Amino acid sequence: MLLQYDFMRKAFIVGILLAIIIPCIGMIVVLRRLSMTGDALSHMSLAGVALGLVIGINPVLGATLACIIAAFGIEFIRKRFNHYADMAIAIIMSTGVGLAGVLSGFVSNTSNFNSFLFGSIVAITNFELVMVILISVIVMLTFVLLYKELMYLAFDENSARLSKVPVKAINFIFTLLTALTVSIASRTVGALIISSLMVIPTACAMQYGKSYKQTLIYSIVFAVIFTVIGLTLSYYKGLKPGGTIVLTSVVFLLITLAVKGRKPN
Amino acid sequence: MIKYVSKKMNKGYGLLIFLGVLLAMLGGCASNDKKQEDGKLKIYTSFYTMYDFTSKIAGDKAEVVNLVENGTEPHDWEPSTTDMTKLEEADMLVYNGAGMEHWIEQVTSSLENNIVLVEASNGVELISDELSQGNSDPHVWLDAKNAKIEMENIKNALVKIDEENAQYYESNYEKYATMFDELDSELTNRLGALKSKNIIVSHEAFSYLCKAYGLTQVSIGDLEADAEPDANRIAQIVEFAKTNQVKTIFFEELVSPKVANVIANEVGADTAVLNPVEGLTEDQMDAGEDYFSIMRSNMDALEKALN
Repeated sequence: MLLQYDFMRKAFIVGILLAIIIPCIGMIVVLRRLSMTGDALSHMSLAGVALGLVIGINPVLGATLACIIAAFGIEFIRKRFNHYADMAIAIIMSTGVGLAGVLSGFVSNTSNFNSFLFGSIVAITNFELVMVILISVIVMLTFVLLYKELMYLAFDENSARLSKVPVKAINFIFTLLTALTVSIASRTVGALIISSLMVIPTACAMQYGKSYKQTLIYSIVFAVIFTVIGLTLSYYKGLKPGGTIVLTSVVFLLITLAVKGRKPN
Repeated sequence: MIKYVSKKMNKGYGLLIFLGVLLAMLGGCASNDKKQEDGKLKIYTSFYTMYDFTSKIAGDKAEVVNLVENGTEPHDWEPSTTDMTKLEEADMLVYNGAGMEHWIEQVTSSLENNIVLVEASNGVELISDELSQGNSDPHVWLDAKNAKIEMENIKNALVKIDEENAQYYESNYEKYATMFDELDSELTNRLGALKSKNIIVSHEAFSYLCKAYGLTQVSIGDLEADAEPDANRIAQIVEFAKTNQVKTIFFEELVSPKVANVIANEVGADTAVLNPVEGLTEDQMDAGEDYFSIMRSNMDALEKALN
């Protein structure tokens, strides 16, 4: 019934894939106190779309480049202000919003602009489907192959260095993957889903998981459950899919907090 | 204690002086009197259709400028500071009303000059849709009879502020009034003869066209051109398209066709453009398109899809 439509099948495939890879990234991002990364990057990618349209390069390429620059920008600022890592997000986010605002004034055809801004999980083109599958495979492979290194990085860069983890290289790979994932996913399903999947499943998982590994697995399981429930609910109740997925996870988090009633770690 | 009080008073004086300066600056802004040097009227219009109707009446007696640039979806538009400065120097602002320009009240209440405001949809019988929470569809001009009323309102306003050229405006209006009548009967005949009457459109912009010429619209989105659709709505529309054998899903040129494509894919239909004449692209402007030619292309598209 639910899956008789092509667009719903695509929504589930893309939704579940993103629900697997985004918490992987989200876990590390949260541990580094950079929870708002998803927001900051997706705002920057809007600026990239606008810039692409203004100077006449492919807007998707523009968005991806902007995301990559922004992600490295966050890394750069974060290192400068070691104890105030969240400041980096605020700076990049406002830069993104400001740039997008100013640049969009120069875009002559706003329908073009809108078609790049407008991401919805129930309106996914074949091209976007392929892109999401591709990035998912890359992210999953990286996380399996570099599991140990990424874990060290998430907790403490200094001890990672002492344990002979090539911090710089791993940092580079992680930053690049984050940028690529956000730029592709926010164009496909919208920024809202990205930024919430990055944080809320991890927040829930922290209440149950007793180790890094457990927490990571829980957060992926939660994210998949939220996405499936959210999509199903939105289909039968006629609700906006993006918002429903987010609210499902928030409700679950609230229930978890009420039941558990203890702080993480 | 005394020291404290005097400090406080100093602060108070500082604030007063600051406010005084501000007031003086505001006063300076308020006192400008507008008269165009070349004797031509300066008229701004809120979006393309208003621009088209106004320039058809005003001819070479006025400089008509469209606020929304070509290729821009007017629902998303908001005036910039430059636009506000331009409006301060204008003689007349023509807008559609009926909820089309959400910014109009804010803009007009902050203007300092005595600009003539023309609400073109004045006197048009509005359709209020209960389903969309009393939100009415502002696209009144898609009924040629309403378009004629709008042009008449514009003509009346021009006659009022520029009596010298009243004869000129009247004769222009007469010419186009006949064209609207012709368009109206053409629409009635051609759309009345269509085999199927159901159209699927990307946003609820065609209530007036449908009501006047006997069609039924099913819209993918809401009145807002770029609202995210919900899955249930898409499924319903897919089912509707299947049972009614809809062969074409319409979308608008200035709106992303993403959802229209999804539905077309699902039912194996084509997509085509149905233009609510809100704005033209640069190319269409260069090709000399106007309200009448776009309405005729719409008729062609509808005939192709519904026969």
